[in-house]
Amino acid sequence: MQISVYVALALLVLTAIGYLVGRRRAIVAAADQPSALHSLPSYYGYYLALWTGVPALILLAIYGVAGTSLVNTLAMGELEREAAPLIRAYEAQVAQDPDLIGLSEAVAQLEAEAQSASNELDMARRDGGEVAVYQRSLGDLTVELNRLQGEMAQVQDRIARSIAVRAPDNLAGDRARAGFEYWRASPDRRALFLSDARALAFDEGFASRSTAALVAAGDAMRPWDEMFRWSSAGLAMALALGGLTWMSRRITVSFRARDRVEGAVSFVLFCASAIAILTTLGIVLSLLFESIRFFAAIDWRIHEFLFGLQWSPQIAIRADQIGQTGAFGAVPLFAGTALITLLAMCVAVPVGLFAAIYLSEYASPRFRAIAKPVLEILAGVPTVVYGFFALLTVGPFIREAAIFLGYEDAVTQSALSAGLVMGIMIIPFVSSLSDDVINAVPQSLRDGAYAMGATKSEAVRHVVLPAALPGIVGAILLAVSRAIGETMIVVMAAGQGANLTANPLESVTTITVQIVMLITGDQEFESAKTLSAFALALVLFGLTLFLNIAALRVVDRFRERYE
Amino acid sequence: MSSPVRIRDAVTERLPQRHRAEQRFQAYGLAAITLAVLFLAVLVGSIFTQSLSAFTAHRLTLPVTLERELVDPRADGSEASLRRGSYNIALQAALQAQFPTVVGLGERRELFGLYSAINASRLLNDVVENPDLVGQTIEFEFPISDDADRYLKGASVSERVTEMNAPLSFSFGDGVARLEAAEPVFAPVSDRLRQAMAESANRDEVAAAAARAAASQTIDADERQILEAEAQRAEARSLRLRERARPGAALQLGPREPSLLVRAGDTVVRLSSIEPGGRAATGEVLLYTEATAQTVASWALWEIETPAATRLVTDRQMVFVRLLEERGLVRNAFNTLLFTNADSREPELAGVRGAFVGTVLTMIITIILAIPVGVGAAIYLEEFAPKNRITSFIEVNINNLAAVPSIVFGLLGLAVFINAFGLPRSTPLLGGMVLALMTLPTVIISSRAALKAVPPSIREAALGVGASRTQAVFHHVLPLAMPGMLTGSIIGLAQALGETAPLLMIGMVAFVADAPSFGFTGFTDPSTVMPVQIFIWSTSAERAFEARTAAAILVLLVLMVLFNAVAIYLRRKYERRW
Repeated sequence: MQISVYVALALLVLTAIGYLVGRRRAIVAAADQPSALHSLPSYYGYYLALWTGVPALILLAIYGVAGTSLVNTLAMGELEREAAPLIRAYEAQVAQDPDLIGLSEAVAQLEAEAQSASNELDMARRDGGEVAVYQRSLGDLTVELNRLQGEMAQVQDRIARSIAVRAPDNLAGDRARAGFEYWRASPDRRALFLSDARALAFDEGFASRSTAALVAAGDAMRPWDEMFRWSSAGLAMALALGGLTWMSRRITVSFRARDRVEGAVSFVLFCASAIAILTTLGIVLSLLFESIRFFAAIDWRIHEFLFGLQWSPQIAIRADQIGQTGAFGAVPLFAGTALITLLAMCVAVPVGLFAAIYLSEYASPRFRAIAKPVLEILAGVPTVVYGFFALLTVGPFIREAAIFLGYEDAVTQSALSAGLVMGIMIIPFVSSLSDDVINAVPQSLRDGAYAMGATKSEAVRHVVLPAALPGIVGAILLAVSRAIGETMIVVMAAGQGANLTANPLESVTTITVQIVMLITGDQEFESAKTLSAFALALVLFGLTLFLNIAALRVVDRFRERYE
Repeated sequence: MSSPVRIRDAVTERLPQRHRAEQRFQAYGLAAITLAVLFLAVLVGSIFTQSLSAFTAHRLTLPVTLERELVDPRADGSEASLRRGSYNIALQAALQAQFPTVVGLGERRELFGLYSAINASRLLNDVVENPDLVGQTIEFEFPISDDADRYLKGASVSERVTEMNAPLSFSFGDGVARLEAAEPVFAPVSDRLRQAMAESANRDEVAAAAARAAASQTIDADERQILEAEAQRAEARSLRLRERARPGAALQLGPREPSLLVRAGDTVVRLSSIEPGGRAATGEVLLYTEATAQTVASWALWEIETPAATRLVTDRQMVFVRLLEERGLVRNAFNTLLFTNADSREPELAGVRGAFVGTVLTMIITIILAIPVGVGAAIYLEEFAPKNRITSFIEVNINNLAAVPSIVFGLLGLAVFINAFGLPRSTPLLGGMVLALMTLPTVIISSRAALKAVPPSIREAALGVGASRTQAVFHHVLPLAMPGMLTGSIIGLAQALGETAPLLMIGMVAFVADAPSFGFTGFTDPSTVMPVQIFIWSTSAERAFEARTAAAILVLLVLMVLFNAVAIYLRRKYERRW
């Protein structure tokens, strides 16, 4: 760490020197005739500074990103090689251990049984027969299988311990044991092992424990680490000095320094705008990749995901459980999302549209100057605040009102309260987008209507609105896309039960709510349950993208008509 | 064919109707705006009123004696020794000193339930900072438990105290007391309770009848059984209530009825039975003081109408709290802990400081990443980009990214930054990166608009006097577009400031009891941000968190108003019209 900081500081100094040297050389080169220089002297300075600083800094950045894992891999590789005798002894003993052989046979048999049970379940499901009994037997098999696998792991641990304990007698010491421990560890434990070893060796944060093996592993990392630090530092300095001396020779009177520097600047600017592409690419690829893993985990029953009526991912608790794949039917989520979006639109569209018409056609400039920002405040309020409002003010109010009107089963977390509050949030979107559109309708159309004797409202209803209709539709589509993707209000106010209902007084769940529930729950990332969140997000992304493109198309066409 | 006169007549005839329609239409528009403004007013108003009770809190101030053998077990005054001291016992002793007659295990537990033991660690820190305190008696101030606080604010319990001026004699037994008076002092209250019981019994009977009727109509055997069982339970309940409410018998009081407390001086008895006639009663002694005489001339009847079963403070705790308040040891003051503490499981100790620091650190990362990249991209697209397919692809991308739901950015952060790059989760660094990606489209779009607003004449003049394209942009166009870019960027950042969903995806929802350090290492400390803190508190079970959530929302709203005010100020100050 310290070395890299010093190197980075030295590089900055060198870069500054590069600038000064470049400028100086350019002035010297054109000593008698300054106007003969192709560019201003400072461009020569920038040119040299770029060549001094950039390659070295790129090198340091690469070291910063990849250095740690490189050191870890090399050091642990070394230790694992030393642990080879231990590993061989362990494998030999595992192969001979009678308990383990018996257990693994039992596991294989159970797995075969589970497979056949799962096939029977599939068959029963296809034929529409009784599935509960198969599900139950499959559940029992899974429990038994998990128990046996746990026992196997215990036996393996026992063997590993006995080998590690015997090790000092005939084999190398802590280093080999560290390599052995690392070799046996699962990926998660490996990461923990490495971070603990680093913590002990380099004082990076706190170690969760401290053992001889961890200290040995840390000691093994240190030489590699130092080597990389020094070599990267030396290389960076060499690059900087090399760039400085090599490129300073190129500075002559006719050298086109400004063109080069400006080329570099526009390259950097291009990279900045390419980040937008990278982000989109990152979103699409990560969603696709994880969704494919999810679909693979549920045996490619994509139709069941898209058209299944039952959503209960809680059943699939662990990644290695078999057969628990039938509960990922996302229709209740789609229906819940649609219901809440519809309710939100029922609030937002009339209020927003009438507000826009009033603001653009009737309001005095003064009224407009006050009312418009007040409406915009509604859009600026964080959604978590709306969620709180829906949960504690609107939800209980709706429940009391429903009970007062004779609907006894009303709940606080209802689709109605979430939809209502979301509608309030969306009002400014509809109103400001429609306002723009209505203002874009040429005055000549209104004047024509007035000339025919229309009142103001008749002009609006029969001339302005039909003319602005495509733009308004676009605005509503954008608002719908916004409502579908909205998360916090529904997480807090709509509930979590995956009910397939059209009753707005019941609690429903949406795509976004389930994504939050699945990701924030306590389970490993690899489970089908977590991965299903990515499949849901893919649907969400596709839906909003489609709505957005459609809206932009419609609005563009409207613009073309009047511009 | 109608003649012109007839047409004019028809038009004139319809004119009032058309004018009414005009007025109606205008009224709809005004109503829509009024409705929207009303929503905003209700939103802000309800949050403001809900937050009020969080800004004050009741605090206990007790003389705490820090005896050496208690807080300095090794007796060497070293920090290690001081850290092993039993500070909670010192606090307990201080509270016990206020009520020397409270000795039973259960009673003591109720007494010590008035504060959370975490306060002892604050005492520890005070002592470690200033070891001279050992052996002294200091005035230590700490927050009272949230349940007691809510009781003192009158939010959770309804009660009524009636001063009585009739002689009452006490005879004490083993934890119980018998109260006798010459006059029927308990008659009014026992009549009232009997009446309430009778009403409750009537309700049960109605419910039982309804259940029986429903049972006779249903054809489902299971459902009929359930309904009949329900009816039987309700009937039994009603019978029991009627039996207990019978005027001739003694009135027995349990945890489902209001508590009746008789207080004389510092002695408090909770009545468990009132004898017929209302002249005598027996009850459990909640607090006993020897100074109280056998017969008192004036005393107080303390009716706690909220039954013990439905509140979180016990009768005895209420007695303790009221007495401490009368002794001037409990006072209501501005709740500074709300601003100086990080999150806590105990509502009375929970504050927003951790989330505030997390927000500042996260926003620093967002600003560092989003503004240079966004402005750079805008300059490229507006000033340099050739009109080709790549450029238009980038533009389409940016427009679409602006409409991608924020939660998707959180999943991107989870899949790419955490799982692929291995960045530490729950940290401001990661949160800032995700929010930067999310705000980037907003920054780019607004910066492009600002660049577009600079008239071409500026560029042409610069090019005309021999500047290169880059020089024209960086020396002439950019300075003029800067205020507009800044305004747009700040509005984008305000949006990031209130964003919650993507941060839930990258683990910033975890409980973090320590504020991240306000330095370089803070960027990789686990932390949370204001909106997520609001979310965490709003899902907590304790009622006291409700007010704190609303208070945290107010803090967040103030932050957002500040952000937007800066944007408006910049726009007003530097805006130029061409």
